[in-house]
Amino acid sequence: MKGFILRKVVAAGLTIAAIVCVNFVIFRMAPGDPIRMMFNDPRASAADLARMKEKFGLDKPLSGQFVAYVKGLAGGDLGLSFSHRRPVLEVLAAKIPATLLLVVTALVIAVFLGVALGALSGWKSGTRLDTFILTASLTMYSIPTFALGIILLLVFAYHIAVFPLGGMVTPASLFEGGELLLDVLWHLFLPALSIVIWYVGEYVLLTRSAMIEVMGQEYITTAYAKGLKKFKILKNHALRNALLPVVTITGVNLGFAVAGVIEAETVFSWPGVGRLVYDAVSHRDYPLLQGVFLLFAFSVVLANLMIDLIYGFIDPRIKVAGEM
Amino acid sequence: MGLTGDRIAKLKTFIRLLFSHRMGLAGFSVIVLFVLMALFASFLATVDPGRTGAAENILKAPSSRFWFGTDDLARDIWSQTIYGSRVSLTVGLVAALITVVSGTLVGLFAGFYGKFLEEVLMRIVDFFMMLPELPLMIVLAAVLGPSMWNIILVVSLVSWPTTARVVRSQVLSLKERPFVEASRCIGAGSLRLMFGEILPNVVPLMFAQAVIMITEAIYAEAVLSFLGLGDPMRVSWGMMLHYAFESGVIARAMWWVVPPIVSIVTLIVSFSLLGTAVSDVLEPGYKEKKGY
Amino acid sequence: MRRTLQKRTWPTGCLIGVCLVLFVLAAPAFAKKNRVGVGFTAEEILENTRLNETWQNSEMGCVFWPLVYDQFWILGPAPDYDPLPGIVKRWETDDYQTWRFYLVENAKFHDGSPVTAKDAAFTLWYLPKSNPAWAFPDNDIREKDAIKIIDDHTLEFKLAAKWPGKYPPAYWMPVLPEHIWMPHKRRLGNFDNDECIGSGPFKLKKYKGGEYFWMVKNDDYWGESAGVDEVVFKGYGSNDALYMALKKGQIEFIGYNGASPLSVEDFKKAENIDVAVAPGLAFIWLSFNLHKENAIQDKVVRQAIMHAIDRERLIQMVYLGYAQPSYSFIYPELPGYNPDLPKFEFDAEKSKAMLAGAGYVDSDGDGIRNNPGSGGDMTFEFMVPSAWSDEVKMAKLVKEQLRDVGIDIQVKVVDLDTYYEFIYTPTQDKFDLSISSEEPGPNGSWIWEFARGFHHGGSGWNQAFYDNPEFDRTFEAMLVETDVSKRRQLLFKMQAIIAEDLPYGLLLRYDHINPYRTDKYEGHVLTMGGFSNWINPWTYFKLRPKQ
Repeated sequence: MKGFILRKVVAAGLTIAAIVCVNFVIFRMAPGDPIRMMFNDPRASAADLARMKEKFGLDKPLSGQFVAYVKGLAGGDLGLSFSHRRPVLEVLAAKIPATLLLVVTALVIAVFLGVALGALSGWKSGTRLDTFILTASLTMYSIPTFALGIILLLVFAYHIAVFPLGGMVTPASLFEGGELLLDVLWHLFLPALSIVIWYVGEYVLLTRSAMIEVMGQEYITTAYAKGLKKFKILKNHALRNALLPVVTITGVNLGFAVAGVIEAETVFSWPGVGRLVYDAVSHRDYPLLQGVFLLFAFSVVLANLMIDLIYGFIDPRIKVAGEM
Repeated sequence: MGLTGDRIAKLKTFIRLLFSHRMGLAGFSVIVLFVLMALFASFLATVDPGRTGAAENILKAPSSRFWFGTDDLARDIWSQTIYGSRVSLTVGLVAALITVVSGTLVGLFAGFYGKFLEEVLMRIVDFFMMLPELPLMIVLAAVLGPSMWNIILVVSLVSWPTTARVVRSQVLSLKERPFVEASRCIGAGSLRLMFGEILPNVVPLMFAQAVIMITEAIYAEAVLSFLGLGDPMRVSWGMMLHYAFESGVIARAMWWVVPPIVSIVTLIVSFSLLGTAVSDVLEPGYKEKKGY
Repeated sequence: MRRTLQKRTWPTGCLIGVCLVLFVLAAPAFAKKNRVGVGFTAEEILENTRLNETWQNSEMGCVFWPLVYDQFWILGPAPDYDPLPGIVKRWETDDYQTWRFYLVENAKFHDGSPVTAKDAAFTLWYLPKSNPAWAFPDNDIREKDAIKIIDDHTLEFKLAAKWPGKYPPAYWMPVLPEHIWMPHKRRLGNFDNDECIGSGPFKLKKYKGGEYFWMVKNDDYWGESAGVDEVVFKGYGSNDALYMALKKGQIEFIGYNGASPLSVEDFKKAENIDVAVAPGLAFIWLSFNLHKENAIQDKVVRQAIMHAIDRERLIQMVYLGYAQPSYSFIYPELPGYNPDLPKFEFDAEKSKAMLAGAGYVDSDGDGIRNNPGSGGDMTFEFMVPSAWSDEVKMAKLVKEQLRDVGIDIQVKVVDLDTYYEFIYTPTQDKFDLSISSEEPGPNGSWIWEFARGFHHGGSGWNQAFYDNPEFDRTFEAMLVETDVSKRRQLLFKMQAIIAEDLPYGLLLRYDHINPYRTDKYEGHVLTMGGFSNWINPWTYFKLRPKQ
């Protein structure tokens, strides 16, 4: 067991190291002179710029810069955001809670809804209900989140204005406590919905096929023969086994969760890390872009690590057999 | 890679099965429609989509003259939608091609040679698969600059690992099959084995992957363009949505927003249906089920 | 197991939530205050209250600080834009180089301490030194002892050079309380300044970076009290949300950028909303890179380009008519404007004739004219920043118009920072032409720094690599000319030289569109650039509830 954990942690660590290197390379590929960008005061003299260059270590050779970069990262220095004129870490940290709120809400709802619908669909495989759920899921899965978001925004926030036109709170409303919570939930509904719809499709398809596979197994027929009620069979036997791939796919899906969050936050102006991406792109704020990339990459690696460990606990076969 | 009689027969069966699959046929027909749209764009469009119009025609609703209305520079939306198919299809097909070819090559070499080479290649693949796709694409596209070819490059760069992994698994199981052993006995060299015997059996998988990759590439182009990383000199559905979103009048101009969204979704759904059909057909036992 | 638990807590949670809402709603309502909401985009709302470039250069910053801090003198409203007393009630000078400022005597900072000449001297000396963004010729003081504190409310200082003209020196400076800022004198921008203690008509009560800034009336203000109790700057996620907020009454008007021309019709139809249109503050012009070796260096080509551009169409297409063509860096409504400038009106035929006459003909039949020397196509790189969507549209239109006369334009869209880097260093040859935009303001003689000879101190601002000693001489003379009519003549001459030499081709000046609510407040003051911008704090001073 210990060996298993150690191996996984080391692998995660190596991945993170590789991500850091890749990030550095990309940063150096960025066009333009970062010093000029940070102080775009045309009156700055050549001497001033040289001094700044020295201060930020950009006059050292590439290897020296890399060392400084890694040192900085270890200390939490992700550079200075051009458009916000503040440390990238500061800008990011302020926006993380909003994104977490959105992602966790959407994921939880999507998983529950998707598994329930998928189980139902698999259980009733072949019926009209199944075909309906299947087709609906396939379609929803094909709509890019931002496109769905735009439609939801236009229909429900503009034409039939039941929801707000974006944002997380009513600006400067000075709400507190319960009022504030309701305000946030009201703003959260549409962006979360746009992510949920895409996700549900995926979980439905997955749970359904896992369900169908499991249903065909012998031990189900045995349980039936023993006289157990249909629903109990569903809950206690079939579902439990169908859930294993669901856990796996959640890990693989984190990359897609990131994409969904970026798109939903952009369309709904949700003040999270995803929206920062859009703003950073508009301003070509490279340090901020990289900071976001690092944040997402690290999160995905860590989340995958956790899922791997959970998986290892659930399925004893995995620990023994090692990796595929 | 020779086209033996046996292989031609297999191909024929494959195609016939595909066409008899209801969803696959539906998807394929729609794809053909879009391809025709792209090829005959200059005939189908009413005006040059990039050409700005007269000031009084700014943001007009659909009419007999502007079938889908106009945008904020009085450009015809119908024509933009027609021409937009070119970018989506080009990015989709070219990026998928590059992805599948490079992924297959890597998968082939890794699976076939095994040992150190496989270890190194698969570590690289694992690493890439761990990275969140969209942020990586965004950072690369932002750094490389806005152009259609950069988008193709970026999408391929991010997608090839999936194909490599899938192909490698297939190669691993194929390696042990009797016909490979047989060829080895005759004295066939490694390369001949790889490309002559194994590759043809990987082709169906490559095709399935390609279809999946096409949907991913079309989606990626749409998202990147929407975020502002698209090619400003080309008309694309994603860029149309980008301009609409930026204009501040997106709510008033549903006609600007609906055509590109419907086009993107329809194209993706069609390729998805085709993909479902392909994976169904490739399932062992499908042939028999359908009575072939 | 988990599912059942959820089943039980869900309705309870709902019940608690509902109770909370009812409780809060039943709570006694806040005392009725006149709270004016002003809308910005969330991006525009400052993240903090530090005194760095954001007070100078950002949309919210330059509207915010004149409310919380006093200035020495304030630019008056339209039409004359006369200099009006701020915390300096009177100013004197004999030679336009040494100035005496007489401060108001009963002014106090928000923490109660009096405003004295010490604070004024501190501001004058340390602000420009600490941050180059605040350094201008009109606050250029070289030695510390050039500033003399005569008494508690009298200050005398000597500038590095004369500053004649309509306006006194030291414009656009927040008067800082010396006792708070002295420990940070070397790097004023590093100080947190969370409390934002100024002496202005409003006090900062509370703020949340990126979301809102909440200001309340300063009841102890030395001058005319504000007519409203509170002003709240609110940040909205998008322009759509901003406009919706205005229609719903959450804000009274928009804080800096006004509304887009496409939204005017919508606002005109809305209830209790009027739309005020004012000429804008910004000029948009073409910058020609005279360093790069190509046909742009030929004056005839530049003139032909100007003739080929249809300003009216640009105005119609990009601004729906809400803009005016411009031909000079001086606003037409001001006395310094030279009405007799060569205009290069839109005339495609004339443009073609000029080009043909100068030897630029299409020798290879591809529709693009060729350079007589090299034979290559006349292709120019047109640089425009991606963030300026209007200018990007203009680039597309200009490309079409120039194509019609046989000139090919490659539009090069770059990010804003790269644009700034390239435009101010024409020697790098990264562009042939580019589009540029600035807001000089009624007292903006600094705009002419753009044309100061590249080799005579102009490098840094000079985008065109322009070098004309005659212009430099005239400019220098204008800066120190104390006689009003002679000064005017010199200004006229400067405008004429630029219009003739065409290092810059002025295009247009877009209007400022201001939708505003009419149901609760009145007294909005409209100047060039709208109700609320860096030269106009008057709306906030004069606004009051409707009687």
